Amino acid sequence: MAIAGLVVTAIVAFILVVLFISWFSNPPFGWGNAPAQPIGFPHTVHAGSVEEGGHAIQCEFCHRNVTSGAAATVPAVEVCVICHKQVNGSNVTTDAVAPETLINIQRVLDKHAEERPIDWERVHRVPDHVRFVHEAHIRFLTQGEERTVTLPIGDEKPMNLPVTTAEACSVCHGDVAHMEEVQPQDGQSLKMGTCLDCHRENNVSTDCTICHK
Amino acid sequence: MKLTRRNFLAWAGIAATGAIACDLFDDELRVQSPALIPEDLVKGRDNWYATYDGSAPGGEGVLVRVMEGRAKKVRGNPRFPTNQGKQSATADTLLQSLYHPDRIEGPMLRNGPRGSGRYRPISWEEALNRFNAAVDDRGNGMLLITEDRKCSFARICGAFADAFGGRHVAFGGAADDTAYRAAVKDVMGTDSLPFHDIANAYSLASFGSDFLSTWGSPTAYSVAYGKFRSSPHVEDRGRHYHFGSRYSMTAANADKWIPINPGAEGYAALALAWAVASTHPESSAVAQITGEAGPGPLRDFNPDALVEVLGIPGEVLDGKNLREFFEELAHDYMAHGGLAIGGGGEAGAYSNGQFNAAAVLILNYIIGNVGHKGGLLPDPGSPISDTPTAAPVASLADWQRIAGDISSGATPLVIIHNANPVHGLPASMGMEAALANEGVVVISGSQFLDETSAMADLLIPDRAALEAWGDDLPDPMPGYHVYAVQQPVVNPLADLDPRSFPDVLLNAAATLGRGGDMPAESYEAMIRANVEDTLGADFTDTLMYGGWWDESATGRVVTPPEGTLARIARNASPANLVGGGDFQLQPYEHHTLRDGRNAHLPWAQSTPDPLTTVTWQTWVDINETQGRQMGLREGDVVNITTGAGSIQALVYLNPGAPPGIAAVPMGGGRTLGSSYATDRDARESSNVVSILELVVVDGSGGLAWGSTRCSITPTGDSMAVSKLEGDYTSREVGEHPAEQVYKSISAEGGGHGH
Amino acid sequence: MPNAEHPHKWGMVIDLDKCTGCQACVVACQAENNIPINTKDYFLQRRAYEWIRIERYWEGEYPNIKARFMPVLCQHCENAPCEPVCPVYATYHNEEGLNVQVYNRCVGTRYCINNCPYQVRMFNYWHPNWPARLENQLNPDVTVRTRGITEKCTFCVQRIRRGEIEVEARGGQRLNDERIAGGNYDPACVQACPTNALMFGDLEDQGTAIKPYFDDVNAHPGHGEHDRETRGYRLLEEMNTRPSVIYLKKIDQYPLKGGH
Repeated sequence: MAIAGLVVTAIVAFILVVLFISWFSNPPFGWGNAPAQPIGFPHTVHAGSVEEGGHAIQCEFCHRNVTSGAAATVPAVEVCVICHKQVNGSNVTTDAVAPETLINIQRVLDKHAEERPIDWERVHRVPDHVRFVHEAHIRFLTQGEERTVTLPIGDEKPMNLPVTTAEACSVCHGDVAHMEEVQPQDGQSLKMGTCLDCHRENNVSTDCTICHK
Repeated sequence: MKLTRRNFLAWAGIAATGAIACDLFDDELRVQSPALIPEDLVKGRDNWYATYDGSAPGGEGVLVRVMEGRAKKVRGNPRFPTNQGKQSATADTLLQSLYHPDRIEGPMLRNGPRGSGRYRPISWEEALNRFNAAVDDRGNGMLLITEDRKCSFARICGAFADAFGGRHVAFGGAADDTAYRAAVKDVMGTDSLPFHDIANAYSLASFGSDFLSTWGSPTAYSVAYGKFRSSPHVEDRGRHYHFGSRYSMTAANADKWIPINPGAEGYAALALAWAVASTHPESSAVAQITGEAGPGPLRDFNPDALVEVLGIPGEVLDGKNLREFFEELAHDYMAHGGLAIGGGGEAGAYSNGQFNAAAVLILNYIIGNVGHKGGLLPDPGSPISDTPTAAPVASLADWQRIAGDISSGATPLVIIHNANPVHGLPASMGMEAALANEGVVVISGSQFLDETSAMADLLIPDRAALEAWGDDLPDPMPGYHVYAVQQPVVNPLADLDPRSFPDVLLNAAATLGRGGDMPAESYEAMIRANVEDTLGADFTDTLMYGGWWDESATGRVVTPPEGTLARIARNASPANLVGGGDFQLQPYEHHTLRDGRNAHLPWAQSTPDPLTTVTWQTWVDINETQGRQMGLREGDVVNITTGAGSIQALVYLNPGAPPGIAAVPMGGGRTLGSSYATDRDARESSNVVSILELVVVDGSGGLAWGSTRCSITPTGDSMAVSKLEGDYTSREVGEHPAEQVYKSISAEGGGHGH
Repeated sequence: MPNAEHPHKWGMVIDLDKCTGCQACVVACQAENNIPINTKDYFLQRRAYEWIRIERYWEGEYPNIKARFMPVLCQHCENAPCEPVCPVYATYHNEEGLNVQVYNRCVGTRYCINNCPYQVRMFNYWHPNWPARLENQLNPDVTVRTRGITEKCTFCVQRIRRGEIEVEARGGQRLNDERIAGGNYDPACVQACPTNALMFGDLEDQGTAIKPYFDDVNAHPGHGEHDRETRGYRLLEEMNTRPSVIYLKKIDQYPLKGGH
């Protein structure tokens, strides 16, 4: 009896541990933050509004595939250099710029000079068997006639569509423009339930093959 | 902590879940930014680039799907005139050849005995210095052996060899079709091959050649065959007869297969020509070729007189005698239009191969379809006037001389590129022994190690087709000018460092002061000049379309000079089958491995043979009834012995194989190169070409690879055959006693039953 | 996105008179769908993965011999025997007529494989392994299936979905035969087939080339097969699985004596 009890306990414990770990250990919902990026990239400075000291660069200027393809894509190092060729600290007269900032810029310029890619740490990730098409979602939120929808994510406030691309991005990714460091917890949970709720709410097919192929 | 039973289980559980949960690859958690704009490496975006697959028989225009700088899929180029968006079974293997784990990674120097395949990496600088020094010292009398690629590639190789006093020869494989080419030159007066307009033909007769599998331009011919089979009136669509001694893919698809004696294809063609000429003496085409209103020189080819020579079993003639059968065929041809296909490939593989090929070609002239829709379309020649339309393929006598010169040291330097004569020529030619001569420097530009390139002292690997510039002429062209351009669609992977072989030749010539003798500074510049200067086309457009073509530039119909038919008829002779034994050994090109050049590609190995469904192995087709009488079962290992040697193969009892003929696919028995080709034992993977007798095709001088006889002796050993088909015999419902009940119920129930 | 009011209904017609058995479809499918390399052992164990395969049947014997080629792939049955037996709903029929296998639901009971009369479902007996470098060829649109689950032909649903986004959602046009072929949205096997023996289309589209065959076969079901105007038939029709694939009989100019 005792052995049987132990075995049952062990099996139950095993299953619980599996469920627990697999639910919480996936990177988007992990206990900790995403690992530090190889080069500090403050979205606040780039995408933040001018009033708040940012440069108000539109999301799709760097993530330029987001309105046309499946992946949002990180920009080529050369895209960074378009600006940072000039913005490299050489003409900085005040000492308001932190030395780390200049080091980070120099790292980008070095990578470009070497024609080496930058290995960014992935922040938002869906599993391999899921295919998410950014373009279709951005199109839904930014195009079409005026309408009001309630997206069953976040604070579930009614939204007046169409919205700008930046607002569309922040539906899932959170207010990236105000994030010094983007963390998965700041956006929406990328669990399947979230996807399905939204698809159902907006009368979009929930056929498995929409996402799983 | 004390490891008790309880906490052992707990720890084991945590360890296991940890392993499951952490089953994520680091690189999945990383997202790499491309370095430069344009970001063609963008994730999730695919680009399709047009290029050319010169490795497929006849050549194919293809589109390659490239994502993130990696080639993902190959498909036929819908605009390309020959394959029209369709592809062969081997088209996708371009990808495997690109990302093959056994590719030669960069320049290497031998550090083991010749043929051992042991090399150490060196830098390109050292490799090129050695290459240039070898050409400088030993260029006079050197030999450049390449694949049978035409156009600018052949021009560069030829110019390079000439500049240093050497010679360029092409190796087209064992089944190189020299007999057919010689016959085309003889009858039609062109170097390259005519196109069979199968799509618009009403009736077809094919002679030996397996044009749906490996002969000619199989993909283009298959596309056309699909059209031939889509006539609006299904019931009266034309018929396809196949005359041949092997139950090939083409025979299996024909409406009727007429088995004939090995090498009797020419007689069958002339018997049909006789029937056409004698039943339609009024035809002007007949008179033009025979010289009279009747069979003329064909009078000896009355089918009644050819019963023995043809050896057609009476059962297939539907109660008609041979003459009636051919006359009926002739009526069909003359009433609706017919096309005779082939003469090359297996039909050209006998001592009388050139006669067979010429007979089929002249039959088309007698029918009067040459140059007409649904007929034989003559080759229009090269659109690039100063480039060769045919590669300098060496004859068997040439190869014998070459082997002799190498072993005697008269050839001081051998440069090899994607040609494997050690595997592709009979062992008795002694190519391997010749290349073992340490006094001769051997350099290989092949992309993979094979039996020939493993003899090299220095490896300077070429780029894969998808990484390199190239151009070619489809062979055959579709009756009008086509110039195919191959552009690099991806860069080599970071761990690979191949270089374009033609560019290595051009640079070496320039470095050694012979740049002026070469046709261009780089291969790319040469292709660009061909397109922009010679063809007057836009280079970017040409790349986008995958080539250039001009439907109005058709070939000129050359009527064979008077007396050609008489000469062909006079040369008629049955095949000379050499050696003893009860079987005629009939090698044939494997559907996907071909002569073994694709053996390193896993998809080519794992694709079931269309008829036997065997994969990965070498088998011998033996007639099922005859095999059972001999006590053979499927998978038995037999010795196939000829006068020149012996190999082993697995028996496949084939109900379609004619008795007395042992058909063995080429392509097995590779000993060096990729493990995909070489990890099998000699019982199930052997090279049939190695045991062929050195029989020469009369006239063309090529190897008559079908002219050997053999004996089949069981070894008592047997192996499982790795095939797709099951071992159950298919049968109708109701044949089994237990199903009689079902059958009677179903018959009562619906008035339906078999 | 599938249009909720007018969903597609995908179907295929296979003309056996044109199939030459050349295997181009088989290799194209393997390249498109990340099918592992079938080693010799896979064949010997009868566990080779081929989502589409060419079956070859012998009829007669030398010299009156016929080899018949028949491409067999998932028939996407409307009345699929595999669907009701799955304990975890990993396989179901979607509104576009596709028989869908959801890999991340599948637990590998293999009930569906046993219940499929066409033997077109494959079980992953091994971890998917590609040698270094060859994995660069893998299609990012298709899941690499893990060990222990069932997989099968999807009618290349990844291409259909791509077409729906690129042509329908973005371009405002409905996918039809011409747009499918022009945009490379047809299944890899159909696109590769040199003789055009395989045809793919949307049965909800009145203009599709495959519809007449389906109409004819549906109008003369079961024992009415002799009344059909076309050569169409379904595999194992008596099982009433109602496949979305219709075969066209080979035209036999010289039938074997005693044959059918």
